[in-house]
Amino acid sequence: MPDIEDLKKEVVNSQLWRSIFRGGAWSDTPRDRANHMIGNVWLHIQPTKVRKRALEWTYTWGLGGLSFFLFLVLVATGVLLMFYYRPVPGLAFRDIKDLTYAVTLGKFLRNIHRWAAQAMVLIVILHMLRVFLTGSYKRPREFNWCVGVILLTLTLFLSFTGYLLPWDQLALWAVTVGTNMAGATPFLGNAGPFGTSLMHMQMNNDIRFVLLGGTTVGANTLVRFYVLHCVAVPLLLGVLIILHFWRVRKDGFSAAPYGDVTEPKIDTWPNLIKRQYIAAAACLLVLMVWALLVNAPLDVIANPHATPNPEKAPWYFVGLQEMLVYFDPWIAGVMVPNLIIVGLMAVPFIDPSPKGVGRYAFRERPFANTMFLLGIIMWFCFIFMGEFCRGPNFVWYWPWQSWLLQKPVPPPTWNLFGPSGVGKFPLLMGVPALGLPVLAIMFLPKLIQKNLSLVKATLACFAGFVALALALRYGAHVPLSQGAWIVFFGTFVAFFGVLIPQRHIRGLDWARYLVTMVLVVCTMGLLVKICARLAFNVKYLVTIPSVFLNI
Amino acid sequence: MYRKLFVLFNFALVAVLGYALWRSSHPMWMVYQRNYYNMAANAMEKQAAEAKDAKEAAKFRKQAEKLRHTPLQIKQILTVFGGVDRCTTCHVAMDEFVNPTMKNDFTQQPYAAHPLVDGMDLNKTHSFQKYGCTVCHQGQGMATTAKDAHGFVDNWQKPLLKGKYIEAACARCHANFEHAKGMRFVALGKKLFYKHGCQGCHSINGVGQTVSVDLGNIADKPLERIEPYNFSLIRINGKPLPKSQWTLQNWIFAHVASDPESFVVNDPLAKYNPQPIAPSGMVNWTADDAAGHRELSEQDAQAITTFLLSLTHEQIPYQYHVAGVGPMPDPDPHFSNPVAHGKYVFEKYGCAACHGLLGTKGRRNFNALGPGQVPLDQYAKLSDAQKIAEMAKGREPTLTQVVGTYDRQELANKISNGVPETAVARYNPDGPMPPLYMPAWEKRGLQGKELDDLATWLLTIGQSNQSQGGF
Repeated sequence: MPDIEDLKKEVVNSQLWRSIFRGGAWSDTPRDRANHMIGNVWLHIQPTKVRKRALEWTYTWGLGGLSFFLFLVLVATGVLLMFYYRPVPGLAFRDIKDLTYAVTLGKFLRNIHRWAAQAMVLIVILHMLRVFLTGSYKRPREFNWCVGVILLTLTLFLSFTGYLLPWDQLALWAVTVGTNMAGATPFLGNAGPFGTSLMHMQMNNDIRFVLLGGTTVGANTLVRFYVLHCVAVPLLLGVLIILHFWRVRKDGFSAAPYGDVTEPKIDTWPNLIKRQYIAAAACLLVLMVWALLVNAPLDVIANPHATPNPEKAPWYFVGLQEMLVYFDPWIAGVMVPNLIIVGLMAVPFIDPSPKGVGRYAFRERPFANTMFLLGIIMWFCFIFMGEFCRGPNFVWYWPWQSWLLQKPVPPPTWNLFGPSGVGKFPLLMGVPALGLPVLAIMFLPKLIQKNLSLVKATLACFAGFVALALALRYGAHVPLSQGAWIVFFGTFVAFFGVLIPQRHIRGLDWARYLVTMVLVVCTMGLLVKICARLAFNVKYLVTIPSVFLNI
Repeated sequence: MYRKLFVLFNFALVAVLGYALWRSSHPMWMVYQRNYYNMAANAMEKQAAEAKDAKEAAKFRKQAEKLRHTPLQIKQILTVFGGVDRCTTCHVAMDEFVNPTMKNDFTQQPYAAHPLVDGMDLNKTHSFQKYGCTVCHQGQGMATTAKDAHGFVDNWQKPLLKGKYIEAACARCHANFEHAKGMRFVALGKKLFYKHGCQGCHSINGVGQTVSVDLGNIADKPLERIEPYNFSLIRINGKPLPKSQWTLQNWIFAHVASDPESFVVNDPLAKYNPQPIAPSGMVNWTADDAAGHRELSEQDAQAITTFLLSLTHEQIPYQYHVAGVGPMPDPDPHFSNPVAHGKYVFEKYGCAACHGLLGTKGRRNFNALGPGQVPLDQYAKLSDAQKIAEMAKGREPTLTQVVGTYDRQELANKISNGVPETAVARYNPDGPMPPLYMPAWEKRGLQGKELDDLATWLLTIGQSNQSQGGF
């Protein structure tokens, strides 16, 4: 009986094999292994040798590779689905039914496509988290981080455009919610600030119209979203993925070295490749089993005349939809996401510290990691609130509460400063009254140039807010439950908005410091507004309708 | 380790893919189809055994053999309406190409052939290959699993019409069906609809009154328009509906066969809305009244539901609309007796909706004045449930009791001018607007001789020496 190793050698060294895989006879030398990487068009995108740390599962978690693998899975299943799908309102829904009921493996493929899309969104976000926590956006990788942020945005957009294609109620109304937010864009949307007054935007010429190809979601929208989903966005995404990979490789691959230390490297083939294969195989296996167990949702056919209650955006945008409860659409749907994108891109440029690159180093970069994790946690908290705590009429229902429960009408909201507010003269009184605390949060951390004890300072703030709550209780009959909100959010904002920056970034130069603090103040403002709304039913803290300033 | 994982994962991937393929290629319909072919072949062989002629027996056996070896496939009918019906994939006996006689002795579904309807072989007049199945039966024609195809699932709003309810589909194409065969149930529903005055509040495509919604396309009502909360409150014979039965059919049926106030409770005490909203203005038509008399049986309620389910604006090409048999009902019958004409007018305009059959029973009008309501100063001390019960004692006038307080001219004025909905006297001034009101009939065509004769008839039904009520 021939030895299996001999047989393998025979095959690998055969003329046929060697004609496909470049190089001479395979004798498994380092040179052979390097040649194998260089001589293969698919593998040569990776270096021949990588640092050993880059191979550790607990360093990368394989997230970047899995994002790309899911993209490939989506392309493969998507192309197969395209054979059966026609982007016409009368036919699209029927084609999905055909896939479900009559096409061999049709339901399975659609399930994989649907769940892989959801998984890709999640994994791309987690990949960004990993890259941030290991400081991998720092010099020379700043630009690639920005490319990554664009890739994340495109991934969300790709998933969103796919949402419409089944042409069911879920699709129609999720896209209606999403595109209505676009209609609130300042200057460019007919419902946005200065849209109609300055730019003469109407229902039929604004940015929402461009997205929809009409004034409502219809046949043109379906074709637009189909082309975007199947051609335009994947193409753009593909181009940027190539750029992303090329920069990953040129910037020294994963696991940047600590400082100047040159670390030993090991062969990519087979060490990295085998890990990639296992990660991809495990991912595909989970997807396939999941697709067998859970069917992709398909609601009743789209009906523009019957609105489901509640109507929700796709889960990754539900956090923004939740913001609509607290802010005007142009803030919740346009400013917040744009600020997030711009803020993320600014990260490598406002964080000049060379510390903590290439490893999880919370102690070396406490400020950056705290703030970033805070943002990520907030993002998922809002998604949780919107997805699981909102019932009919987008009224608050706890996850364990039945939506069949009727909820009393919420008490009327009120404005703090504004024409119909409790305090008049929003410009004269409201702007200073709210602007001064904002300025204080902005500048205090840098102006107090001495070491404060974090614990003591936090306790002092806490005590201050408790005193305030008690004063309000006995002075103005504000119930203690609302006082608790003040204590919690006050201390929270003082801790994350003032004390943490004071402790860690007071030494930053003014330009970087101010950009950072603008982002911090925006984040804290978001929390303050949410607290004001949930606890005190405040609609706007200050409202100056003439310039669309409603905060 | 990676070598082992490599082998393991590859094996698992192939296995899962294989399982997916296997599952995709072994659906339940294949079992049904194979069973049917075997059953049909067995029947054929039985015929062969009983055949006297050896040649004929051989013919039967050959056919049986052919049936047994028929390849399994999804069968579909591309209907003239543009639909795709795959029902014959399981219900093979209704596939003309497999079962040319369209008859068999099987009683069990999905193997049985289509039954005769009123002795009619429907395939002869409504070729299944042409019209498909769902145009009559509803359900999800494209589905190939029993549960999804029958349509009692979340993502399908038109599940099977069962039993007599199928007649609703007949009436979507057949006009003037009062005398048509096989449509007696829906005809009964139509008759009851008008007899009990439903058109006095609900118009159908603009014909009738506008106190409540038009029912012209009630069969197209999307379920999104019905709150799950209301579905959850429906009790039919005291039992709640399981979620798979939250269908339009049951929604309509519950409006006739139970008290809609129990599930369209709305918000009379303004707990959930800034303004109070009265519950549904309808009553339970199948409940016994004090005298032990009930207006509609449960079957009557089903018949009315069937009629309402026929009211659709779905586009059915004009060539498939069929005129009925028998005489058209006379839209304006001639009466020599003014009293008989007045009674006819009373029924024609649906006055029974509020005033009861022949004006004998004023119906509930939530928060209107009614007999036995406690004075308002006591009302304030009642519990919420008692408050609602007091408001629910509001009644439309029982004509036999109040008509004696009017002279002829007053009666004619009242009918002509009506009482606008905002002017109906409320029991609780802070409570909701009563849902029922008297339309101004003059504007709605009730005038001249019709009005005269109606008044004449009304003056004959008043009970002498009685002047209670006047609400």
